[in-house]
Amino acid sequence: MFFLNLSLLEFVGVLSTLASIVVALYLLDRVRNKHVVSTLRFFQTAEKPPQQKHRRKLQQPWSLILQLLSLLLLLLAIAQLRLGSPDRSSRDHVLILDSSAWMAARNGQMRLMDEARIAARRYLSLLPSSDRVMVVRADALATPANFFETDRTAIQRAIDRTQATAGGLKLENALQFARDAQRLHAQRPGEIVFIGAGRTAPEDQPTSLPENLRVLSIPGPAEHAGLLKMGARRSVTNPDAWNIFVAVKNYGSLRRSVPVALSFGGATIGSRRFDLNPGTEQSASFEYQTRSAGWLEARLLANDAFAEDKRAVLELPARKILAVTIYSDEPELLRPIFQAIPGVSATYVPTSRYDAKSAGIVLLDRFAPPTPPAGPSIWLIPPAQKSPIPVRTTASKVKLRQWRSDSALSAGLHTKDLEIEASEIFSPDAEDLVVAESEAGPLIVARPKSKLVVTGFHPVRSAMRYELVTPLLFANVLRWMAPDIFRSYESVASSVGTVDVDLESEPDPAGVRVITESGQALPFTLDGRKLRFFSGAPGVVRVLTGDRELVYSLTLPQPGAVVWSPVNARKGFPARMPNEQSGRDIWQWLAIAAAIALVADWILFGRMRGRIFAALAPLSRMPWRKAS
Amino acid sequence: MNTEPLIDSAFLEKLERLALRWQKSFPGLVGGHNASHFAGSGQEFLDHRHFHHGDDLRAINWRAYLRLEKLFLKMFQIEPRVPVRVLLDCSQSMATKFEFARKLTAALCYVGLVRLDSICLQPFAATLGDAFVCGGGRHRFMPAVNFLTNLQVGGKTNYLQIARDFIAKYPQRGLLIIISDFLDDADTERPLQFLSDFGHELQLMHVYSPEDREPPWEGQLDLTDAESGQTLEITFDGDARRNYTAAFDEFAKSIQRVGLRNSGRYVGLSTDTTIEEAVFGPVVRSGSVQ
Repeated sequence: MFFLNLSLLEFVGVLSTLASIVVALYLLDRVRNKHVVSTLRFFQTAEKPPQQKHRRKLQQPWSLILQLLSLLLLLLAIAQLRLGSPDRSSRDHVLILDSSAWMAARNGQMRLMDEARIAARRYLSLLPSSDRVMVVRADALATPANFFETDRTAIQRAIDRTQATAGGLKLENALQFARDAQRLHAQRPGEIVFIGAGRTAPEDQPTSLPENLRVLSIPGPAEHAGLLKMGARRSVTNPDAWNIFVAVKNYGSLRRSVPVALSFGGATIGSRRFDLNPGTEQSASFEYQTRSAGWLEARLLANDAFAEDKRAVLELPARKILAVTIYSDEPELLRPIFQAIPGVSATYVPTSRYDAKSAGIVLLDRFAPPTPPAGPSIWLIPPAQKSPIPVRTTASKVKLRQWRSDSALSAGLHTKDLEIEASEIFSPDAEDLVVAESEAGPLIVARPKSKLVVTGFHPVRSAMRYELVTPLLFANVLRWMAPDIFRSYESVASSVGTVDVDLESEPDPAGVRVITESGQALPFTLDGRKLRFFSGAPGVVRVLTGDRELVYSLTLPQPGAVVWSPVNARKGFPARMPNEQSGRDIWQWLAIAAAIALVADWILFGRMRGRIFAALAPLSRMPWRKAS
Repeated sequence: MNTEPLIDSAFLEKLERLALRWQKSFPGLVGGHNASHFAGSGQEFLDHRHFHHGDDLRAINWRAYLRLEKLFLKMFQIEPRVPVRVLLDCSQSMATKFEFARKLTAALCYVGLVRLDSICLQPFAATLGDAFVCGGGRHRFMPAVNFLTNLQVGGKTNYLQIARDFIAKYPQRGLLIIISDFLDDADTERPLQFLSDFGHELQLMHVYSPEDREPPWEGQLDLTDAESGQTLEITFDGDARRNYTAAFDEFAKSIQRVGLRNSGRYVGLSTDTTIEEAVFGPVVRSGSVQ
């Protein structure tokens, strides 16, 4: 005799708790109602008082016994008391189905995934019908497909719906999950069965094996070469050019020579042949110049059983040009500066032809329009009365004391003993940023809210004309006003799972965003210059870090470099386990007995007692009718 | 604090047409409203008798003397002013019924005052308390109301002691209205009989609450006597309630028998009726007031 659902300790604990509550409620219900009456003489003639003092509290002991008995029976039914030996009871097995990318490989006419499903169904058929099974899909994550259950239809449905994903196999996670599931939820742990090819990365192999592990290995093709990695980033020297990086690996045991073709927008832009020794990888770089957007595709021109890593595609964006409209009556002064900044298209318009709806960034050279520009704007020596930032005074022979390093606008700007002939001195608001200041006050001020910068002097008409700081100042201003234009772009094809990103500099965590194609933010960790995020589904993930945009195309499957083959585990299918008589269920009878006890208590001692016995008035009174 | 008047003015107006009635003939001063069987200096002719030396010559029937040459004396019916005493039970058992009893006392007091009766309000519990005597018209009603309002319940009833004290304190016979639940652990009937035998006309106003007659509770009861503090644990059900009510009714009948003996009256009043319903219903029907 044993419990299927509860341990003896749990049973005793629950029973004692509930019994205490029932006894407390019983005593509470049977507590005498206290009343103060005018006289007791009529009560004394009406009814005899209780005769025995020791029955003061337990007025209806049989009622309490019946209630406790029904409680005990109900709890026994819930605990599923079974007749028989617990050693012959059903067991709980965890079926780990390998759903990693490699399971999409073909082995003859069938895929490895199909073979794994057949093996899983066969194993299931060998189990006694009372055994419970949990199906766990193992790839980069361990995902349970169902809870422990005996319903074979539901288990087979979970097996049939298991598909190969793009992720690599993390065996340690899957085995740990199975162990935890059996420890926490299993009544009697059975086997942990791994069914799959077991192809994984060397670092993902489990260090310790559960004792009850059984491995049903699905042998796959041995020879395979595939794209390992692909990346594209804009050239540092030529903004219109892309540096493309392709890595190929030979996973097989034979030397292979495989060609790789690179195409953009359907047109081949390069090719390379890789001679790969067994287990080695090689990489190659390409350069391609284009301003337009399109799909960059790398294709490994080789046929083997696993086709999923023969092709990788990256999206290349078009190069963005920043439009700057310069309203100046002396355009020649500013032309060299804007020609020196890449990615900027400057248009020079006389101040008399001012249009408030000018596209892009507007520069106003010593000119204040009747209507201020709607977008970002740069004001050079605005007239004092119409300056967007109030002019406090105009000073001459102003020595530029410092460039404020707390602003991105003055990043990398340095001058020494720079004296300006004449300059306006501004009175900035609290929210304004001071870029450069003199002893007399701020000379260059930026207003983040409306994205405008005002300079109290003309950089080209002053002593700063021959300084390097002049083009850098304008470059900083343009980058501050339109950061997307100057953001460097890098695209990498990788596999799903955990992605490590090496950043060029340590970023501000507040400015880092990791977003999917749908715009959903992914959680990430930042450790110095290393950013780490996890994506379980194939797709595109963008990592935005200030002036850099990294695009991860998580579509390249990860087949795994080694085949896991444990030595100490049981292998192959077990012999058909007999459909053991694991104990006879008697919970139904227990529940019926509990119900009978409850009904008896209700009839004999409940509130219906009076009515029932009124109906049975002709019958003689029963001896137990007296409560006390 | 309850600011509601003990009796409202509308009810007082209705009470003005009532008068306290008694059946016995008591000696007393002239000026009452109930005719007495005793002859005296009244207005209504009662009888003749022979003249005896010392009789009032003004009462001689001279017409009869001229015709029969014998002196006959005319006797007149007197309407004496009889003392009315109200014994109000203030014991602890009256706690739930005391408001009703107090109002009933006030109503009877007002009826008596309107008819220029002399009313003595005598509270009692274990012993007689301080009495309040009022008379001389309705304008003396407010002091009586104040007296009644200040009364508090408490103590245990001892009717034998009360009867003994009352007889000693009030030797003059008169109308004795007892407003009480008549619940005493000792015998109640004998002390009442003593009072009746002494010559008082008893009007017993038996006040009881609905719980006194038919307790609504059921199950296991832990009962405490309001006066003695004694406790009783019983199982109370429908049968027990019927037995209880029968015992109470038997007790009420025994009180009624005592009341009706020697020309007395008995009224049973439940506190679930209003005081107006009680006065113009059972009290008037009993003849205590008319």
